[in-house]
Amino acid sequence: MAPSPCALCHTNRALILRPKNHQKLCKPCFINTFEAEIHHIITANKLFHRGERIAIGASGGKDSTVLASVLKTLNERYDYGVELVLLSIDEGIKGYRDDSLETVKRNAQQYNMPLTILGYSELYGWTMDQVVEQVGKKGNCTYCGVFRRQALDRGAAKLGVQHVVTGHNADDVAETVLMNLLRGDLPRLSRTTSIVTSTPSAVANAESGVPNHTNIKRSKPLKYAYEKEIVLYAHHKQLDYFSTECIYSPEAFRGSARALIKNLERVRPSAILDVVKSGEDMARLIPGSDERCGTGGCATNTTEEAGGCGSSQGRSTGGEMADMEKRLQQNDNAADHGLEVEITTMKTPRKKNAPKKATHASTQVPRKAVNQTMGQCTRCGYLSSQNVCKACTLLEGLNKSRPKASIGQVDAEDDETSTSHLSNTMNQVGISGD
Amino acid sequence: MDNPNHGQTCRRCGLASSTIVRSEPLCQVCFVKYVSTKTVKRLETFAVRHSEPDKERRLLLPLSMGVSSLTLLHILQGHLNRQIERTGRTGFSLHVVFVDCSIIDDAAPTVVSLRTVQERFPGPIYSTVRLEDIFKTQDHGHGETEPNDGSATAKLFALFSALPSPTSRIDVASNILTRLVVDVALSSSCEAVLWGDSTTRLAEKTLSETAKGRGFSLPWQIGDGSTPFGLAFHYPLRDLLKKELVAHASIVSPPLEPLVNISSSPAHQVAVSAKNTTIDFLMKQYFESVEENYPSIVANVVRTATKLETSTSTPERRCRLCKMPITEDLLGIHGWGGDETDAVPSSGAELGHGLCYGCTRSVPVEAIDLLPT
Ligand SMILES: [Zn+2]
Ligand SMILES: [Zn+2]
Ligand SMILES: [Zn+2]
Ligand SMILES: [Zn+2]
Repeated sequence: MAPSPCALCHTNRALILRPKNHQKLCKPCFINTFEAEIHHIITANKLFHRGERIAIGASGGKDSTVLASVLKTLNERYDYGVELVLLSIDEGIKGYRDDSLETVKRNAQQYNMPLTILGYSELYGWTMDQVVEQVGKKGNCTYCGVFRRQALDRGAAKLGVQHVVTGHNADDVAETVLMNLLRGDLPRLSRTTSIVTSTPSAVANAESGVPNHTNIKRSKPLKYAYEKEIVLYAHHKQLDYFSTECIYSPEAFRGSARALIKNLERVRPSAILDVVKSGEDMARLIPGSDERCGTGGCATNTTEEAGGCGSSQGRSTGGEMADMEKRLQQNDNAADHGLEVEITTMKTPRKKNAPKKATHASTQVPRKAVNQTMGQCTRCGYLSSQNVCKACTLLEGLNKSRPKASIGQVDAEDDETSTSHLSNTMNQVGISGD
Repeated sequence: MDNPNHGQTCRRCGLASSTIVRSEPLCQVCFVKYVSTKTVKRLETFAVRHSEPDKERRLLLPLSMGVSSLTLLHILQGHLNRQIERTGRTGFSLHVVFVDCSIIDDAAPTVVSLRTVQERFPGPIYSTVRLEDIFKTQDHGHGETEPNDGSATAKLFALFSALPSPTSRIDVASNILTRLVVDVALSSSCEAVLWGDSTTRLAEKTLSETAKGRGFSLPWQIGDGSTPFGLAFHYPLRDLLKKELVAHASIVSPPLEPLVNISSSPAHQVAVSAKNTTIDFLMKQYFESVEENYPSIVANVVRTATKLETSTSTPERRCRLCKMPITEDLLGIHGWGGDETDAVPSSGAELGHGLCYGCTRSVPVEAIDLLPT
């Protein structure tokens, strides 16, 4: 078969089959197109303004590495006039972030961007290892997920930065759209489809001039970029990223949605983009969407390993589906028998240690979720449907029981207790990430 | 479903049970009653007390010869018989239309199988349309279709051979089918169409239409009530799972099974290779597996999607293929956030094509002129 010429320059030999539309391109044309599309998204959505300081949520993975590289290139090429910094979060799980943080440190040098690494200990006063020690290995996923959701915002506030960009790509967004349909969570579907999110308190807090974590703008410049193209870009630009996939299996709904997206892409390459398009259109059809749309400062999964979690020993794959099935069935039975349907949004699952509101996000009963209105946490001001946000609730529970832990409540099955306790103590003294 | 469950007794009557519905064991009699009640409950608006004796209300049931639409026919026939027994009249008269898709699918049922159905259920008024009739200008409503003059067939062939993938072909076929059914309903003065979609099927549709970029039209595609077509759609089987309908079809006597044509679901097409798979088939497979262990999750997907409200602005424009109302920003695949080209948003040509986002994905530019008007 004769080599086909590049569909754009018609000169070079085509080497790349574009995953998005199966166009045959040469390497330079692919790189150019990829960058031009991101530039288009940034300008069409007016994501940045001159003089702005922007923190890139950096994990060392392919998405955030490509994001950092592309933004640096575009900022120079088109003179955006923005200042880019890298922000990494260290959950404080021994060994877990070592390699990826090393990658981020190298990226900081390669791209000549300042890097700040903030630990959970600095943001919350607890490392994940300490949380595990406190609550046991079951249920710590809840903590990790909830803390992670706010970590970049809290981190940005510490840096005095008001805008955080994350590496969420089109696959992530499409996956989240399908996942929220499967979970029956329309408000969340709506929130994840918007390219920019910021909290409603932005105006109120602007007076003080000091950014706090309740008025951080979040955006996803790679929202329409295919994961496969991100990998290709990283490969052809020879970017230095940490390529190990998250070893923890995603929860069942996300896993299901992910598999569907992969299959859909195989059948029709545009399907990922088409799901994103549907998600955006559906967001406008959600009852009461006008008040909520665009202001729901909550990219629900604020790190690249969206479904993964640093320490998920206790995670039960499929459990989320079974739990939800059971709850829905109870509601149906109650309705069938003419009983008042009690909407048990915050029903606590089996965990004894966990504070009352420590439920996984997927345990929200959808019927309720549709009517829930987003307000603010009275403690920290973070966007929350409850009076006190999940992070504050979890922290309260942890802090109340802290003395007990230092007496040495030993988890029988945890043979690492003594070493992790040692490292906890060191953490409390304060390890600065940088 | 056909788990014998020795020792379990029916939750409703206490007899030995043979079927598990969701979590409850039911005997055969109570199970059949359950299926019927769930369906009839959805037809409250068409009860005898809501009909005037001198003004007949007509409803149209599109029959695919699949288990769901046959079940709906079976239940409605029984329901009408009971109305006659009780009140001497019925709340509505039932019309059945069979859409013959054999032109694009060798395995599809034909008019021959319709005769068997007619013998079993003699009550309704039957008619047939062929998929290619979409290219005939006259209305498709009145009973016998005139002999095909060949030009409509040729046009349909031309269109389908210009479509790039099995997904596109099935998508276009099901849009044509919907339009034909609507035409028949309007020309035979039916006020509503009663579709046979089960919960499972509606969940499949929710996700496959989402995957095809038609999230915007979901409220019209899965909700009960008025549609942009000028008549109402109802889904009386929306509270029943596909597996429940399958079990029911073998339990009723005589069983419906022999009438069922297995290939009559639009998502049919055994996946020979990944390349020949369709989006509809993927979703069908997916929900048939979810249905096994998580039936309430399937139902919840449908309940959730049904909460979506139709767009508040009522645009004048209709998509040329699916006929859904569209605003300018829904025309074509350009001019939205995910369109990363610097191309002029909704270029003139694209506006002229008049296809919605989803239909633009299914119909390549070369095939647009081959579409029915
Ligand atoms: Zn080229
Ligand atoms: Zn809070
Ligand atoms: Zn019984
Ligand atoms: Zn259309």
